[in-house]
Amino acid sequence: MKTNLTQIHEVINQHGTNREALVEILRDLSQRSGYLTKEAMEVVATQLQLPPSEVFSVASFYTKINVEQLGKHVIKFCEDAPCHIAGGREIWEALEHKLGIQFGETTTDGFWTLWPTSCLGLCAVGPVMLVDDEPYGNLTPEKVTDILNHYRAGDAA
Amino acid sequence: MSKIKLTINDKEVMVEEGQTILEVAKEVGVDIPVLCHHPALTNWGACRMCLVEVAGMRGLQTACTCPATEGMNIQTETEQAVNVRKFVLELLFSERNHYCMFCQMSGDCELQDAAYRYGLEHFTYPRPYEKFEIDASRKYFIQDPNRCILCSRCIRACAEIAANHTLNLKGRGAGTRVIADLDVPFGESTCIECGTCLQVCPTGALIDVRSAYGGREKDVTHTQTTCLQCSVGCQLDVVTRYERLLRVDGIFGAAPNDGLLCVKGRFEPLYDEERQRVQTPLVRKDGQLQECSWEEALPWVAEKLATGTAQGLAATATTNAAFQAFGKLFEKIGDPAGLLCGTLPELGYGKGATIPDVLAADYIVVAGAKPLTTHKVVGYFIKRAADNGATIALVGEPENELRSYAQLNVSYAEMDKVSVDIPDAAAVVVVYGAGLTAEGIAALKPLAEKAVFLGLEPGRNGRGAAAAGLAPLAPAPAETRLVLLGEHPVKAAWVEQLNGAFTVVQASYHSPLTEKADVVLPTPIWAERSGHVTNLEGQVLPLQAALELPSGVRDEAEVLVALAKLIG
Ligand code: SF4
Ligand code: SF4
Ligand code: SF4
Ligand code: FES
Repeated sequence: MKTNLTQIHEVINQHGTNREALVEILRDLSQRSGYLTKEAMEVVATQLQLPPSEVFSVASFYTKINVEQLGKHVIKFCEDAPCHIAGGREIWEALEHKLGIQFGETTTDGFWTLWPTSCLGLCAVGPVMLVDDEPYGNLTPEKVTDILNHYRAGDAA
Repeated sequence: MSKIKLTINDKEVMVEEGQTILEVAKEVGVDIPVLCHHPALTNWGACRMCLVEVAGMRGLQTACTCPATEGMNIQTETEQAVNVRKFVLELLFSERNHYCMFCQMSGDCELQDAAYRYGLEHFTYPRPYEKFEIDASRKYFIQDPNRCILCSRCIRACAEIAANHTLNLKGRGAGTRVIADLDVPFGESTCIECGTCLQVCPTGALIDVRSAYGGREKDVTHTQTTCLQCSVGCQLDVVTRYERLLRVDGIFGAAPNDGLLCVKGRFEPLYDEERQRVQTPLVRKDGQLQECSWEEALPWVAEKLATGTAQGLAATATTNAAFQAFGKLFEKIGDPAGLLCGTLPELGYGKGATIPDVLAADYIVVAGAKPLTTHKVVGYFIKRAADNGATIALVGEPENELRSYAQLNVSYAEMDKVSVDIPDAAAVVVVYGAGLTAEGIAALKPLAEKAVFLGLEPGRNGRGAAAAGLAPLAPAPAETRLVLLGEHPVKAAWVEQLNGAFTVVQASYHSPLTEKADVVLPTPIWAERSGHVTNLEGQVLPLQAALELPSGVRDEAEVLVALAKLIG
């Protein structure tokens, strides 16, 4: 979903054009559409009277704000020790293999983005991943295939 | 300012108050290594190379940011300080590709110097660094992030000196990169190719295409001269080797431009070699331009000038002495001489400003001028003043390129809005140019007492020409015409206008004008000139030759004096 110009202005109006509001504005905009479009950053720069380079620099500093276009669904796979011990390595490889991309990348059809994440607090059911905001535990390579197929099917329906 | 007493490396010294430890050390001859610090930029304190021990203070202090105070006891090369510097260097060397033997900066690199100084003879840590893409989308210089130490000198230079704010950092951690705007290729960014970032980069991360691998500091010659590309009169440090132009740098601290240059001064003239140079005098024989000697060419020209009607027309890319000699020659033969280019309108009121006045201004009025196009460094100074809080008012310039920096944009008729807006105590500078109309002159008059006026003289050395009594002159029918062109580019209109006479052209390069000429006399280019020019402030600035004059070429002033002599 792309934010349109009206929405961008709405968010700016809500926080005001003070320089201090920059992070809040960027976070809000990023959350609304999953990532910050160049257009959105340009509008923010003009409205807050900041150089675009500065807006971009701030946005790219925070992991919670995305400056790259993301896939329709984002997988966040836990890379911490408990999940690793519980067989995380095979899941890591299965994800990369099945999606044909590496961690940090997005599939060419724009459907999946694959990210590593730190502990999700679900160690009891590790290995764990989030698809968007939905957690999946006790993962096996087979289970991963099912989950991926499920999202594909859901999209086709 | 009062003096303070402190001790540095066991030596007691008296120094001015209000300096950093680094500045004090420099003053008393103690060398503290730096990487992120640059004297022309704000202090940053990011690289930790300058850490020193101060008795009684917890931990090590960054000398580049820590103020020196009364009674301080500073040690700059203790074991602890040296170890920390070494550690920082080891980390920097493991973070990116610093295989110096393949880097064009090797020998002149501040990072490499520091590594040698602290005896880093091997890599201490593994180097699993990421490989970054090189950006070669700009014509004159390249960015190689693999050599970047993220010192941010370039970012500060772009923001603080060029007032352009193109650069910033992307991301964080080991993958951080210096990017332009919203991370677009430099060639598509807001970069104006002033080259300030290139000049201040301490490593091989920014690479000048022309001078790369062309010679290290110990091999090259530096010559200070004045830029001849417009009337600002920026001071240039021309770097040469083997009679070849390598590079031009700005000179921090030298008026009027304090180190800032524009693309026209720093880069473009070095690529003029693409134009074809006139190397010997040429005369037209049997319809063809043919090489001849000065001894043959000059008497012929003298004879032509002395008999029948003549007219002298000069472009403005030459020295004061050449204009003087040009004026005197035509005085002697009793024929008119003047300028091909236009000049500034006469205000008839107001005191002249200096270029640094722009930086110190609280209020800047721009009228009839496009400084970002014609006198770029003045334009950048206006942007810098705006960054520092000055108000910019455009008068009679609704479409001006400075409009996004202006708080007020009014017509000449609404000038009273500006007058009302100017605070009582403000330092006001009016920047005007050749586009100022009679209406504009009248409109600005109320500021005559309050403001100082900076006229952007359109001719490169227009004020030098004016001092020699040369004013704009329309080409008129004459039997002989002498055109003093120098290296000035030829306007299409001139080629048309300068028809139907025996034409002598003094020029550096072949052009449609020299093609039509009957005699062509070669002239020096900017880097070969000695003498003086007068800049738009009226300052007489020296030119020093960085290159020898090619054997067939003679200075115009000398040639014009010789012609006058031949006429007797
Ligand atoms: S060349 Fe000038 S404008 Fe371009 S990035 Fe460097 S400092 Fe900024
Ligand atoms: S490009 Fe040069 S000046 Fe800029 S941060 Fe990197 S090393 Fe420093
Ligand atoms: S502003 Fe003018 S004098 Fe200064 S570098 Fe540019 S062209 Fe040369
Ligand atoms: S030079 Fe002082 S911290 Fe970089």
